[in-house]
Amino acid sequence: MSPEDSKLAADTIEYRPGQMAEPADHDDPLHGAQVELNIGPSHPATHGVLRLKVLADGEVLTRIEPVIGYLHRGKEKACESLGWRKFFVHTDRLDYLQPMLNNVGYAMALEKLAHLEVPERAQVIRVLMMETNRIMSHLIALGVSAMDLGAISMFFFTFDQREKIYDLIDAYTGHRMNNTYIRMGGVYADLEEELERHFSAFFDNFIEQVDEWESLLTGNRIWYERNRGIGAITAEQALSWGLTGPNLRGSGVAYDLRKSEPYCGYEDYDFEIPIGERGDAFDRYLVRIEELRQSARICTQALERLKSSRGANVIADDRRYVLPRLSDVTSSMEELIHQFKIVTDMSLPRGEAYMGVESSKGELGFYIASDGTAAPLRCHLRSPSLMNVQVIPFLAEGKLLSDVVAVLGSVDFVMGEVDR
Amino acid sequence: MNDQSSTTERVSCGLTGQKYETLESRDGMLTLRVEITEARALLLALHKECAFEINTLVTAVDHGIEREDEDKPRFDMIWQFQSVSHADRIRIHSWAKSQEPVAPSIADLWSGATYGERECFDMFGVIFEGHEGLKRLLMPEAYDHFPLRKDFPHQGIEPDRLYKAWDRERRQEEGGEA
Amino acid sequence: MGSLDAVHKTLAEEGFLATRLDTFVNWGRKNSLWPMPLGLSCCGIEMMAMVGPRYDIARFGAEALRFSPRQADLLIVAGTLTWKMAEVARTIYDQMPDPKWVISMGVCASTGGMYDTYSVVQGVDMILPVDIYVPGCPPRPDAVIDGMLKLQKRIELERPVKNLMEDRSADNEWIEGHGEMIRQENQAVPQHDPSAGVASDESR
Repeated sequence: MSPEDSKLAADTIEYRPGQMAEPADHDDPLHGAQVELNIGPSHPATHGVLRLKVLADGEVLTRIEPVIGYLHRGKEKACESLGWRKFFVHTDRLDYLQPMLNNVGYAMALEKLAHLEVPERAQVIRVLMMETNRIMSHLIALGVSAMDLGAISMFFFTFDQREKIYDLIDAYTGHRMNNTYIRMGGVYADLEEELERHFSAFFDNFIEQVDEWESLLTGNRIWYERNRGIGAITAEQALSWGLTGPNLRGSGVAYDLRKSEPYCGYEDYDFEIPIGERGDAFDRYLVRIEELRQSARICTQALERLKSSRGANVIADDRRYVLPRLSDVTSSMEELIHQFKIVTDMSLPRGEAYMGVESSKGELGFYIASDGTAAPLRCHLRSPSLMNVQVIPFLAEGKLLSDVVAVLGSVDFVMGEVDR
Repeated sequence: MNDQSSTTERVSCGLTGQKYETLESRDGMLTLRVEITEARALLLALHKECAFEINTLVTAVDHGIEREDEDKPRFDMIWQFQSVSHADRIRIHSWAKSQEPVAPSIADLWSGATYGERECFDMFGVIFEGHEGLKRLLMPEAYDHFPLRKDFPHQGIEPDRLYKAWDRERRQEEGGEA
Repeated sequence: MGSLDAVHKTLAEEGFLATRLDTFVNWGRKNSLWPMPLGLSCCGIEMMAMVGPRYDIARFGAEALRFSPRQADLLIVAGTLTWKMAEVARTIYDQMPDPKWVISMGVCASTGGMYDTYSVVQGVDMILPVDIYVPGCPPRPDAVIDGMLKLQKRIELERPVKNLMEDRSADNEWIEGHGEMIRQENQAVPQHDPSAGVASDESR
């Protein structure tokens, strides 16, 4: 290697995607020379359009800077222009691995502002859908992070189960993803009895599947070595960085909004909060695996409750916010006018409200401020994925390039929610 | 949900000597309003005395271009915190009194607020005093507007300007090679 | 080519060998598409499902997903393209070797969809030539597979050898900004432009 060839990039080169580094003059190229690299925004290991600007000293990454915004779709602005109701479809596409969970979060923020009560059966259906969506999201997190570390078969196993959940959700809502089935005041339609049986049948076998995956990964030497001790974070640090959800629980803090600030009747369900000890990638993986089992447990209980409340109302009976029945709209002029009024200018009382729900990534929060008109004054989305991306430099700086892939998989983020 | 009275009691112990007023909130969360000049001291006390470990959000609300003067400021800063050990939350409001709003940074107290402040700067143009490396988070760095301000149109102002400039450069490079 | 005259005409113009060779090359190309998945948002998940065990695009010879554009000949733009990402997408497209095709998956990629906002490209055809548009939000994997089959039919109609002999590469050039043109004038794409986008290809 000639001295000219080995002259490496200086620290300050401005990078643009698709361009190679221009070699710059450097006095001592072989010692301490750092190369600026660009991972993403289109890279299989970044799970979306995340871009990492890294400074590499050999295989060690000394500095990492996430660059985000490649999927910034202006949702908060859209909410201000679309109005309260029409924003529902945008919430699905926030964290598109768990569309209904986002729906519920937004619906509950609106209900909190409007002081609207949700019927019992709707709450149970919401819990069932939220937990099913949490499972779907964890399956992706598990399958994709394992695939990044070389266990490609995990991706196929988890996707197989996801397809089964998709079938169930498809039968209920009519679409595989982005369902928009939760409404302010309840859910759009009731869950049919036959479908309940299909859901039960799925969850009966699901825990066995989780055991099988665990037998593939948890005791696997490669998986263990690649994850143990990687990206460790203590409880205090995790709190300071704003981590919530499985990432915080992996560090040993038993904090779960479903327990500490129960909503949708979660206080009546019997489930446990798994926590880790060391806060590394392996503990986060263990927490997610256990959450799959706990979610399946909650779903089984929810299905049991649905049996006793068949035929009950699934949407609140409040004419201010809830659309009239379709059969009434087609037969009565007043109802038609009423529907038109709700769709075009449904307004919420003046004030502000915050609702945080426990999503699969952490606390998903909706802060809404209303000035009493048909469109919000402000709708801020508190995104757990943004916090998870924010902590990546802290977790991965000074580590090997291959460990960064493990960290990215273990913190679990979705770019739709990061960029909003 | 939050039991506001216990939070009030707990917080008022920690915030002795601070000037603030308590607002009514529709969602039952303890909501305080402070002067922007005293916000930093109050947030510091929240961090040190009241055990609010997590910064949930940092954001602003734009009340519209027509509100410009001192009595009716335009930008309302919002901080929200949660305490894991006490399982409660608090929200702080503060008017940033000018067209170029300035607010104190809390990124040194809660590391998690770093991106929140950058995002708020990106979207509203709020300058956070004391924030190192305050730059745009979601929009490209060369972007000239603050999208969440009320005077910015929903469909944007020349959204493709930066791309067009890049594209022109790319074509020139291609033409030069050929 | 219903009547025999047309066959004679083709043979006279292009020669038997060129037509046969075209068929052979197209057969090879269409059955081994190497997609470069540009999974931007929600559609990326359905694209993963398409690769996954149930839908299995290996049945159509397109399972070799390449994350390097230099090894791919089919760009699947799956999801919302923002102006910030547009530079990257265009760079990826430029890096792909010829011949290359583009599938715009989902309404966001096709028209901007529900995101009529300050940061979103209103249709990926504003920056790239698109061959197949797949509607849906997100499209089901079956729909994308259908789009891929339509693309295969379209590849069958190409004349790679003939273009090579006559150096008709200029015909393949994309008309600048034609996506905007379609939207603004709401008129059909000129027939002679093989890389211009139309949803259904049976008419040719």
